Amino acid sequence: MKIEVAYILISIFLFLSGLFGVIIRKNLITLLVSTELMLNGVNLGLVSMDKMVGGVEGQVFALFMLTVAAAEVAVGLGLVVAIFRLRGYEGSSEITQLRD
Amino acid sequence: MEALLIILFPFTAFLLVGLFGRRLGDLTSAIIAVLGSALSFLFSIPALLKALNSPFSVKLYDFISLGSYTLTLGLYFDPLSAITTSLVCLVSTMIFIYSIGYMENLFGQWTYKFYAYLSFFLFSMLLIVLSDNLLGMFFGWEGVGLASYLLIGYFHQQKYATNSALEAFVMNRIGDWLFLFGIFSIFYLFGNLNLLDIFSKVKEIDPNLLGLAVLLLFGGAVGKSGQVPLHTWLPNAMAGPTPVSALLHSSTMVAAGVYMVARLYPVFESAPQGLKVVALIGGLTALFASLAATSHTDIKKIIAFSTMSQLGLMFLALGIGDKNSAMFHLTTHAFFKALLFLSAGSIIHAFHHHARDIYGVGGLKKNMPITYATFFVGALALAGIFPFAGFWSKDLIIASSYEADFGLGVFVSFVSFLTAYYIFREGFVMFYGPERHKGHFEEEPHEAPSVMLVPMVVLAIGSTVVGFFEGWYMTALKDHKEMHLNIAISSVVIALLGIGLAYLVFVKRVLDPEKLYQSLKPVHTTFKEQFFTERLYHKGLARGYMDLSRGLFLVGDRFLIDGFINLLNFLYFRVVKFLWIKLDIYTVDLFVNGVAKFSFRFGRRASLIQTGLLNNYVAFLLFGLVVLLGIIIYFMG
Repeated sequence: MKIEVAYILISIFLFLSGLFGVIIRKNLITLLVSTELMLNGVNLGLVSMDKMVGGVEGQVFALFMLTVAAAEVAVGLGLVVAIFRLRGYEGSSEITQLRD
Repeated sequence: MEALLIILFPFTAFLLVGLFGRRLGDLTSAIIAVLGSALSFLFSIPALLKALNSPFSVKLYDFISLGSYTLTLGLYFDPLSAITTSLVCLVSTMIFIYSIGYMENLFGQWTYKFYAYLSFFLFSMLLIVLSDNLLGMFFGWEGVGLASYLLIGYFHQQKYATNSALEAFVMNRIGDWLFLFGIFSIFYLFGNLNLLDIFSKVKEIDPNLLGLAVLLLFGGAVGKSGQVPLHTWLPNAMAGPTPVSALLHSSTMVAAGVYMVARLYPVFESAPQGLKVVALIGGLTALFASLAATSHTDIKKIIAFSTMSQLGLMFLALGIGDKNSAMFHLTTHAFFKALLFLSAGSIIHAFHHHARDIYGVGGLKKNMPITYATFFVGALALAGIFPFAGFWSKDLIIASSYEADFGLGVFVSFVSFLTAYYIFREGFVMFYGPERHKGHFEEEPHEAPSVMLVPMVVLAIGSTVVGFFEGWYMTALKDHKEMHLNIAISSVVIALLGIGLAYLVFVKRVLDPEKLYQSLKPVHTTFKEQFFTERLYHKGLARGYMDLSRGLFLVGDRFLIDGFINLLNFLYFRVVKFLWIKLDIYTVDLFVNGVAKFSFRFGRRASLIQTGLLNNYVAFLLFGLVVLLGIIIYFMG
């Protein structure tokens, strides 16, 4: 078993644990953290693939994604804080306005 | 070409009065009709003089081409047609003038129609008389039928008048049908309808076939001239105004039958068997109608039966080969028959159109002296007393029938005896005796106005003098007959006997008429009912036909056709209802409602997954992604 396969498995594990975190957890901060987990899982996958096939596009893409993730966390945290301040919500089960 | 004007004047009058009569007024319409007729008479005289020298034709135009033969419409003037034209125009003019007085009480009630019909009547008759081919004659024939229908039913508010008009029309239609087929057979035999061409080829045709054609043509004459067995319309036609009766009986309608036979006489002559039928029908009608006239009591119907009987005599004369006597009798008859009708009309007019029965009036001699005189001139002429017109013409017929057969001569003498009896019976009852109208009418009967009297007097003079033209007439028709002095004397004596009998019974009352009536009641009724022929036609044929129609209506229409339709209707409803329930309710509605219900319920359920929870949405996203990826891998891999 090559070491790259272990990286891929780890990246799948990271992605899935982030995904389940998004599905199961209700706290908005936890949701954001889980999203970060998913993104980093994907990043790990991309870099591992690069290593396997000997390319560089995956690493470039991973860099872009880091940037996007940083921006997203900034905006996301801002939104969470704003919602908390405005409505007093801290769990996603209270935000059901999408239905209406 | 001025000969054409003869026929155009009445037609113009008809168009003028018919189209503009309402604006012109009734009196003006009457004057236009009189002028049309009088101008025709004036223009017929030069044509007559010319025709006496040499017969001539006026071609109008090519009407229709029938295969190789082209039918040319035209007029033909020979002594026969020219004299008849003048006669018709003269008598019609007198009657038209008379009708101004007679119809005066109806002026303002659309009476111009009456004059339009009269002019059309005259036009049609002139077309019959002058036409040089059978088709033109048939046009006139139908026109006369139409005009008589309109005029007999002129008082169309009365049921009786409209029924009479209908009867006349139907009876004539039977005759016209035969006439039309006669024309067909003539065309089949000769390949031609022009009279002169027919006459020139008549010897080449098989007499048996010709006999059939002749019988069909004679059928038309029977209908038009009111001979047995198509006679019942003629007495009933008295429902029309009296001038119409006069016109119908003297110059236009009924004369057409006799004239047609005389016109086509060369054809009839070549079929001796056909002529025998003509003589038989004529003789039968002559006797039949005189018997009916002896017992009838209607003022006008007696004279109508007399016309039938005289026409029968004319047909008898035609049948035994004496065409010229028949036509001369037609000429004189036109005068005195018109005169008798006009005198009768004068009496009816005196009682404001309420007198119908001869026993409703009486002793009119002192109230109406001129009418009295004119009536008796007409009656004497009809009876055949020297020197009145009827004497000359009837004498010729009597002489011819004695020549043909002694028994036939006795028969004709007997008919003239009856003629003298019935017409003087009518005269004596109306002008002598007690004043039976006292109490029924408030006013004294008065003499007619002069507009009515002048035509009567003119016709009376005509009835007196026209007989003296016998020699001239016979020369014109290129015939010559010796007077038979013994026959002349005997026929006058027979007529005098008839008059004497009427005088004794109805003036002197040697035999009481009422007692006589009681004792001879069955005979009287038989005669009066025309041997029950009218009743047979009305009750038997007409009602039988109605009952048959009604029966067929009930069985054929109500039962068969309506039943079939109703059955179809019923079945159709059944089928449609079945289809409606099975197809519409159970299939279509169920499907549509099912779809609706399903969508409704499914929507209810489906809307439940719309929770608004972020976590759920992410879970669905995952599910969807897995499915999509699965599909992609399944199909791509």
